[in-house]
Amino acid sequence: MNKKKDILSLDEFGVEQISELLVQTDSFAEILKRDVKKVPALRGKTIINLFFEYSTRTKVSFELAAKRLSADLINFNASSSSLNKGESEIDTIQTINSMKNDLIIIRHGDSGYINYFAKNVAVPIVNAGDGKHEHPTQALLDLYTIYKNFESLTGLKIAIVGDILNSRVARSNIKLFGKMGMDVTVVAPSMLMPENFAGFNTKFANNIDEVIGDIDVLYMLRMQFERQERKYYPSLKEYNRFLSLNLARFNSMKKNSIVMHPGPVNRGIEISGEVMDIKISNTDKIKINTQVSNGVAVRMALLYYALS
Amino acid sequence: MNFGNLKSKSKENILIRNGCIINPKAQEKYKADILVLDGIIKEIKKNITCESADNIQEINAEGLYVCPGFVDMHVHLREPGNEEEEDIESGAKSALRGGITSMACMPNTLPVIDSCYLVEYIKMKAREIDYNVYPVAAITKSLKGEELSEIGLLVNSGAVAFSDDGKGVQNSRLMYEAMRYGKQFDALFILHEEDDNFSNGGIVNEGYYSAILGLEGISNLSEDLMVQRDIMLSKISGARIHITHVSSARSVELIYGAKADGVNITCDTACEYLFFNDSILTNYDTNFKIKPPIRSESDRLAIVEGLRNGTIDAIASDHAPHLLLEKNKSFKEASFGSVGLETLFKASLTKLFYEENLSLEKIVALISLNPAKILNIEGGELKTGSIANISVVDIESENIYSKDSIISKSKNSSFIGQKLNGEIMYTIVNGKSGFSNS
Repeated sequence: MNKKKDILSLDEFGVEQISELLVQTDSFAEILKRDVKKVPALRGKTIINLFFEYSTRTKVSFELAAKRLSADLINFNASSSSLNKGESEIDTIQTINSMKNDLIIIRHGDSGYINYFAKNVAVPIVNAGDGKHEHPTQALLDLYTIYKNFESLTGLKIAIVGDILNSRVARSNIKLFGKMGMDVTVVAPSMLMPENFAGFNTKFANNIDEVIGDIDVLYMLRMQFERQERKYYPSLKEYNRFLSLNLARFNSMKKNSIVMHPGPVNRGIEISGEVMDIKISNTDKIKINTQVSNGVAVRMALLYYALS
Repeated sequence: MNFGNLKSKSKENILIRNGCIINPKAQEKYKADILVLDGIIKEIKKNITCESADNIQEINAEGLYVCPGFVDMHVHLREPGNEEEEDIESGAKSALRGGITSMACMPNTLPVIDSCYLVEYIKMKAREIDYNVYPVAAITKSLKGEELSEIGLLVNSGAVAFSDDGKGVQNSRLMYEAMRYGKQFDALFILHEEDDNFSNGGIVNEGYYSAILGLEGISNLSEDLMVQRDIMLSKISGARIHITHVSSARSVELIYGAKADGVNITCDTACEYLFFNDSILTNYDTNFKIKPPIRSESDRLAIVEGLRNGTIDAIASDHAPHLLLEKNKSFKEASFGSVGLETLFKASLTKLFYEENLSLEKIVALISLNPAKILNIEGGELKTGSIANISVVDIESENIYSKDSIISKSKNSSFIGQKLNGEIMYTIVNGKSGFSNS
């Protein structure tokens, strides 16, 4: 079989390799602090940014990462593509494969789609999110953010709160954080959790108050209304009462703890407006914008890895 | 490898020598020859000598097993409507390749088999190729689950059973009335058990693997609740019910209890449920996307146990042909179903004989005698005076099952790449050579 370096998930990466990636990310982050934020590392390489599902930050983040490594990047929006002219997905894939690019970044709404895609193309594939399955670059940027803040990972207590059932971010993060020796608790009501979650080896809670005073990292998930095929959660009021981060809960967190969120935040749902308003002034505690900045450096490191 | 001339009407003279006869009824096996004259089994005994030896085709079955032709009680033939996936003739060829000489076809065609002329049409097409196809008619018109089909007239036209296969009948009252009415005609109901509220949007078994793969789950409850309901309705109405493609451990348990309670119930499972568990989903191969979904290992073990202890009466293929186009898609978008006529015997043998130590006689009963009895049709036995439907099999061979070997028009088999034991050597259908593997 071929030896192309697909990044479909972080399952194939060992602890050593991930630690190495974190260190390498430092050098890419350093580039982003320069006046001229560009290096010729991937000059002459062509990357396709193929988004079958709507995205702003991930797409722009990948685009910046590619351009800062001097690769040529082409954006492909499925909404304006031949898919709407009746071309089947397999034919679209073959068309793109025939264009002789060097790497394809893909986001798709169906779990496992990217595994299927990777089987049908010759160049490396980077998963920018597939359905409810994996979002490996998000997981690595989250890990990098935690690592930069705490300088070590082992034993850190993290709670991942919200719609676990429909979240690819949760699936990737749970695996990665667990692998790196962190102490993970998943917080969700029964209907927003897969029925058989025991295999993930995390702790469980149904209510944010059970964990809020004891954790180092509070990771709030986006309430994914667009990905919920089966809606059983009763109401926003109920969500706010048991799962949202409001000011009182924010103030009850440990001194050196941090708040994270993959974005975009639904103000007033998972995080209250009051808490969101202090994120500019309190970047030590609320790391949401730092995650976005780190995303570019992490994706530079991964693109460089996949093409070198 | 060749297929007989299906359209020829002339019956043949065949002498099968030195094979080991499997008698599923008596659960015994013994060495003997079988003589077929003019399509009829004339003699079964050792060392048959035959006077008029010139026009007799002799099959040397030394080391092989001679079984009653297999009976598959759950097949989708796609005709009328989707003949590019399969038609009655191509389905019959695929079946002969699998040693199957009789099959019951499900009514979810285009149009749905819910009226007499369609039952007649299927029977006519089957007669043209002299193959045994038994049409199953819809319980409800157009499979909509709203109004009953003409159950009485359909019985008279020759519908072998009734099923809304592909869907469960959601309306409990309607199902109850169907059973009460069907009871008047001694109709058999083949029930696809699925509570839509538990399965809508679902594509794989709800379990550990659906959780980590981010694929929407279908809970066992979807099946179990409906099995429970229909046991109750059958008990009250007295109708004959047959639960098809049982996949879950609790359903096996419920059916076990119902049988002990005297309910008029039988059931089958399909090869996938005794062969695989949901850990095979990790590479997102859409050939494993079937309904009901491939369940957990504990469910699989319960299915095997159900087959061993007789709770499960039959194994069917649930042969569901789909074009590559329908399968070469993301897991979510791909169609449900896999082909299975050609692997019914091999998959059962591989798992049940070689791994689970079920006897060959038992396995043959599960795929011939038992389904024939449930459907109340000819077959499942080798006896003198009856028309010859015979499968001659080798149980020693072992091969990796390949896509290229598939005879069916559709190639969506779950077993591609699996090591399978056994091979069909000859299939004799209605007194004629149907398939020969030489």
